[in-house]
Amino acid sequence: MLNILKSAGIAATAVAMMAISALANPYKDYEGTTLIVNFPAHPHYNAVMKILPEFTKATGIEVEVDQLPYLKMRERQTLELAQEEGDYDLIAYVVFSKADYVYADQLENLARYYMNPKLSDPNYDPDDLIDGYVYNIGFAGGNKGYLEGKTGSLFGIPYGSETSILGYRKDIFEKHGLEVPQTYDEMLDIACKIPQLEPGMGGLASRAASGHHASHAFLLHLAPLGGRVFDDSWNPIVNNEAGVAAANALKQIVDCGPEGASSFGFGEALGSFLNGDTAMFLDTTIVAGQIDDPSKSKVVGKVGWALHPEGVRRGSQTGGFGIGIPKNAENKEAAFLLMQWLTSKTGDKLVALAGGNPSRFSTHEDADVNAKFPHMKTFGEALKYADPDWRPIIPVWGKINADLGTTLSKVLTEDLDIKEALDGVAERTKGVMEEAGYYTW
Amino acid sequence: MNSINVNRMTPYMFMAPAAIILAIALLYPLGYMVFGSFREWDPSQSIGEAEFVGLKNYITLFYDPAFRESTWVTLRFAFWVVTIEMLIGVGLALFLDRNIRGMSFLRTMFILPMMIAPVVVGLMWRYMYHPTVGTFNRFIKSMGFEGVDWLGQHALSSVIIADIWQWTPFIFILSLAALQSLPKSALEAARIDGATPWQQVRYIKLPLMAPVLIVTALLRLIDAFKVLEVILVMTEGGPGLSTEILALRISRTATEFRELGVAAALSTYLLLILLALTLAMFAYTKISELRAQRIQAAAEEGY
Repeated sequence: MLNILKSAGIAATAVAMMAISALANPYKDYEGTTLIVNFPAHPHYNAVMKILPEFTKATGIEVEVDQLPYLKMRERQTLELAQEEGDYDLIAYVVFSKADYVYADQLENLARYYMNPKLSDPNYDPDDLIDGYVYNIGFAGGNKGYLEGKTGSLFGIPYGSETSILGYRKDIFEKHGLEVPQTYDEMLDIACKIPQLEPGMGGLASRAASGHHASHAFLLHLAPLGGRVFDDSWNPIVNNEAGVAAANALKQIVDCGPEGASSFGFGEALGSFLNGDTAMFLDTTIVAGQIDDPSKSKVVGKVGWALHPEGVRRGSQTGGFGIGIPKNAENKEAAFLLMQWLTSKTGDKLVALAGGNPSRFSTHEDADVNAKFPHMKTFGEALKYADPDWRPIIPVWGKINADLGTTLSKVLTEDLDIKEALDGVAERTKGVMEEAGYYTW
Repeated sequence: MNSINVNRMTPYMFMAPAAIILAIALLYPLGYMVFGSFREWDPSQSIGEAEFVGLKNYITLFYDPAFRESTWVTLRFAFWVVTIEMLIGVGLALFLDRNIRGMSFLRTMFILPMMIAPVVVGLMWRYMYHPTVGTFNRFIKSMGFEGVDWLGQHALSSVIIADIWQWTPFIFILSLAALQSLPKSALEAARIDGATPWQQVRYIKLPLMAPVLIVTALLRLIDAFKVLEVILVMTEGGPGLSTEILALRISRTATEFRELGVAAALSTYLLLILLALTLAMFAYTKISELRAQRIQAAAEEGY
């Protein structure tokens, strides 16, 4: 039934699109062009694959998709973008690639496309795009070089972006009369109560494995607990009080988590929640689809959603993907048209109905989308607190992130003193920053 | 005069194509790597654009505690893996070097693990080691014991076990081949002289197999230094840096840290370590061969 509804919705939108294109056809000059795009293998982009035929039907522009695992994708793009003439007309990139690509002058500045009356759709409504995502993923050159600011401009559009949200087991919470946690203290308290109330069950499933997993989990708590990785003059401050509190929170969560939690990557953490081994899950919104999929999940219909709990402030993560046009693309204008169509109100709604992550406020409030995915409203609410600065997006971040992640993993598995461990990270980070020239001024 | 020159040149001319191919296929990439290791090289740059920094990458690495830890992990991993695999592999070969019915079937079964793609091996073991749903812990718990935190507290041992499972067969088939090509006369003579099975193994079989065993151990050693996928899939080098062997560190340096120059310098270090080990091993063989010759010569003189 849902499928029929969905196809009906897609068809109706397509008809509407065709009706518009019958009046005036901005796509006429590009009919028959074949775009080659590079997308990751990812739930959002799997949904995109379902709506691409609609684009071709509406515009006459063909799209060939090279879908790669997302870590592989970055490697491939690094090679492609460095060439004189690249294969890709449009790429999806992970948020931390923004720093590298923009810094190496490999992405088109989008200003001249939005200025071009022949290309830019007046009904696009850019203000409807989610602020946190735009500044996190698409924007560069503003404050600190990677944030919103007067000196910045746009290099990409968020597409398949995500924020963090707390999933909890309604049945378990009800059974023991637990309140859904609003603050960090409440969440940590419940996380450690669960193993006593439900023997064999972990409190909260979190990533914790060495490397980017542990680092991601730590940063997730750092922003709401009032911390940052750097102060305004790029001095590392991960080792201040907030940093220690965040590491403590992570340690407590892992200690009260499911068995073996200290070696969990994202897959294992999600798996343990889907398997019913944990009562809570604090991570990306992208998992919603899988939690309601009976072939993957044992907890269908038992999961409720709440905002990422508040520490001294609210701040949920921002991440996922954006799309941009490589400098060395062959069909830049047609690529812009595809990008605009995908992120337009119509395209965004289509992809949301197909199971993707919408990038617009209006889509989160849309009645059809909410009827199909009731959690969308909470997700929309969460987006208001999406923090674009929860981790720095600078070229040397990869190295700092790895060090942070391995050190935290040692804290979790080898009982290293938290303050000492973070002091070490801060000191090494200072060295990396020094070498990269951040203290020139 | 001329024809003599041409005659002299002939062998070199015949060798030339092979030499050229060798130079292009082997030395060029190697040179490229060494050349790159002297540069501060970002993947978005071509090697020509990268800035020359001399020995900086090597010096930074030398003082980098993470690199030292990685090297130490690699050495420990390689030592245990090669030692245990040699013991089990050669032992199995000695044990199975006889006419048993269905031997060829058994042999094929034994070498199966080697044929599985490393990523699959990694995934398989990762799930078998899983703390709650993994085969091992379920078995241990059903016996009434506490579960083991395989990939957490005992990560390096767990990775070593997986590698042993996959690569012991390699040593097994090579040793078996060596055993079966041993001169029958020597064994027969020993038997007639009343050597016990253990004495046959200790004084006849093992010494005669030694050249093959040394090469086998060397091949495994080189491989053990370069294992990447299995560990990447199983632990991603964690927890901490406890399973981050050099090959994994190189891969992370190139892709995660985006420092191709440092990655190249790391590779050079790895190459040097391997070279040193290989040379040491060959030197050892050479010395023991010379000693054997001396003993033989002395014995012959005594006649």
